[in-house]
Amino acid sequence: MSVSELSPVRKSILPTGDDTWATIARRELADRPEDKAVSDLQSWNLHVFMRAPAPETSPRAGNQVLPSDVIFVEPPLSDA
Amino acid sequence: MYDLIIRQGNVVDGSGLPAYTADIAVKDNRIARIGRIAESATREIDAEGKIVAPGFIDPHTHFDAQLLWDGCAKPALSHGVTTIVPGNCSLSLAPLKPDHRMRLVGMFNQIEEMPYKAFREGVVWDWETFAEYITRIRKGLAINVAPLVGHSVIRLWVMNDAATERTATDEELAEMQDVLRECLDAGAAGLSTSYVDMDETLQPVPSRYADAREVEALAEVLGEYGRMLQIVPEFYDPDLTIARLDQLAELSIKYSIPTTFSPLFVNSDNVDAVDKVMDRVDEQFARGARVWPQVQTRPIDISFSFAVPSLLFIRIPGWYRVMRFGTHEDIMNTFSDAGKREALIEEAKVYNDLWPILVLRQVKTEANQKYVGKTLGEIAKMRDTTPVEAMIDLSLEEGLDAHFLAASMGHNNDDKVVSLLKHPRVHIGASDGGAHILSFSTYGDTGYLLAHFVRDLKTMRLEDAVKKVTSDTASIWGIPERGLLQPGYIADIAIFDPETIDRGVEKFVQDVPGDGSRYVRDSHGVDTVIVGGGIAWSAKEGYQEARGAVLPGEKGSQPELVAAE
Repeated sequence: MSVSELSPVRKSILPTGDDTWATIARRELADRPEDKAVSDLQSWNLHVFMRAPAPETSPRAGNQVLPSDVIFVEPPLSDA
Repeated sequence: MYDLIIRQGNVVDGSGLPAYTADIAVKDNRIARIGRIAESATREIDAEGKIVAPGFIDPHTHFDAQLLWDGCAKPALSHGVTTIVPGNCSLSLAPLKPDHRMRLVGMFNQIEEMPYKAFREGVVWDWETFAEYITRIRKGLAINVAPLVGHSVIRLWVMNDAATERTATDEELAEMQDVLRECLDAGAAGLSTSYVDMDETLQPVPSRYADAREVEALAEVLGEYGRMLQIVPEFYDPDLTIARLDQLAELSIKYSIPTTFSPLFVNSDNVDAVDKVMDRVDEQFARGARVWPQVQTRPIDISFSFAVPSLLFIRIPGWYRVMRFGTHEDIMNTFSDAGKREALIEEAKVYNDLWPILVLRQVKTEANQKYVGKTLGEIAKMRDTTPVEAMIDLSLEEGLDAHFLAASMGHNNDDKVVSLLKHPRVHIGASDGGAHILSFSTYGDTGYLLAHFVRDLKTMRLEDAVKKVTSDTASIWGIPERGLLQPGYIADIAIFDPETIDRGVEKFVQDVPGDGSRYVRDSHGVDTVIVGGGIAWSAKEGYQEARGAVLPGEKGSQPELVAAE
């Protein structure tokens, strides 16, 4: 079986180290307004959006996205 | 003259083939002969009516600390487990700089629910490198250990505080690769990483600050050795689990490494979700990837008291915060303060179905003994209150030393669980041995498999069940010369009574350094456990010889590794 023969699954990306909601929105959902794209991403990725914030003293304060996260760039397939 | 002969046992050799009656002779540390043996031996065991099987291999444990004070990994060995894999979930105890010790202890405390006091009073911190840790645990080792090295620990070693701040530079990546090579040369069986765990401040562990490039760089090194990559995926969500297993599949194919993810549970609210994951596993195997899901045999039972934080409460933050960060006095005061108590009761309503079915399992006062064994629903009626308030009041009356049991919280659909356990691409494991010691007993999972699914429900052949926890595991991990009863193989052997083997009754014991307690299960129906040709434990004489080995062992002493294709 080749990659192309795999069943379709919910599309996701693995972020780069500096990615934020906004950078992912601009790159992956370029066809929609950024605010809307960020909002959509957050609603599809509650495992990241609902995470406790990093402490104010952390270099990552304000950015919920971790470099190791899986970020879905579409809704669950059954809802699509 | 042999060293040991096991007479007339029913040999279930780990291959899955039908059992047969034979004698097994052991010379030095290996199986010398199987058949009708006329010669004698220094020691003989009458195994008539018993099953003689390869020793069981437990691929998901956290005995890293316990091995420093207990080379038997008690009571795992007495259950027939002859090989354990510690170092899962991105956490190992080496390599470790002195400055990082308490930070790592905090992670073990938060993630694996292991008490600080056990580390303070049971551990002499006299190692830094992985090789030094191996030397340290090798003394008095009675069980075989195939240790993983933790990604979070390697990150801390190389990046120090930056390990929980940012991605690695190219130079740091190269250094991490070198450190991993040193660990593998010293005897690490592979690498573990985690995508879900948090430290004691409830912030992500170091491995979660790594990007995919870093994981790939480490997988590249694993490829040089053909060793395992273990991950903890976001197991609560099938779409996330599938995304992770796809990530693993790419690494497995690109670097020709075995990979495993754990745990995979049957969710009571969506029992069919595992089918979606398993369909993807099948597809990825068809591509040539090795992505082994680990499935535990036992249902999820969680015990707790409010004296220590319990992960059962992690989804109700008001409760968890006070358990995690509050002192004993803080918790007592919170439960006593009318306003704070009311807020907790309000927040607890999200689990209104849970509280009435919790069982009070242990108290210290005579006055409350009459409630032990009853559900909070029953106790609430007796006390004319609500189940949550009964739980709070009992905890106050007992000085927080009231213990409750949330039984069969999930992974308890026998039909679905056994269909997974029998699946050729499912790896039986995820016991968490040595961890969560105040939440549940992580021992006896093999006894549960052989009692519940094989003997009682008759949903698995004995030979298949034994194969799943012996030769399958050895093949998946590339552990040579173990997992089968064959002449020439190392004599790791479990002898048990198929009519009585079970996981044993869960009990609360005080045997952890620092006067600590834990839940354990004594073995039941296991007769003798042999490690490296020596009797390591028997029901009659208890723990005996210490012939445990570190597997696959340090570079130069390792047999050729042949991982399952």
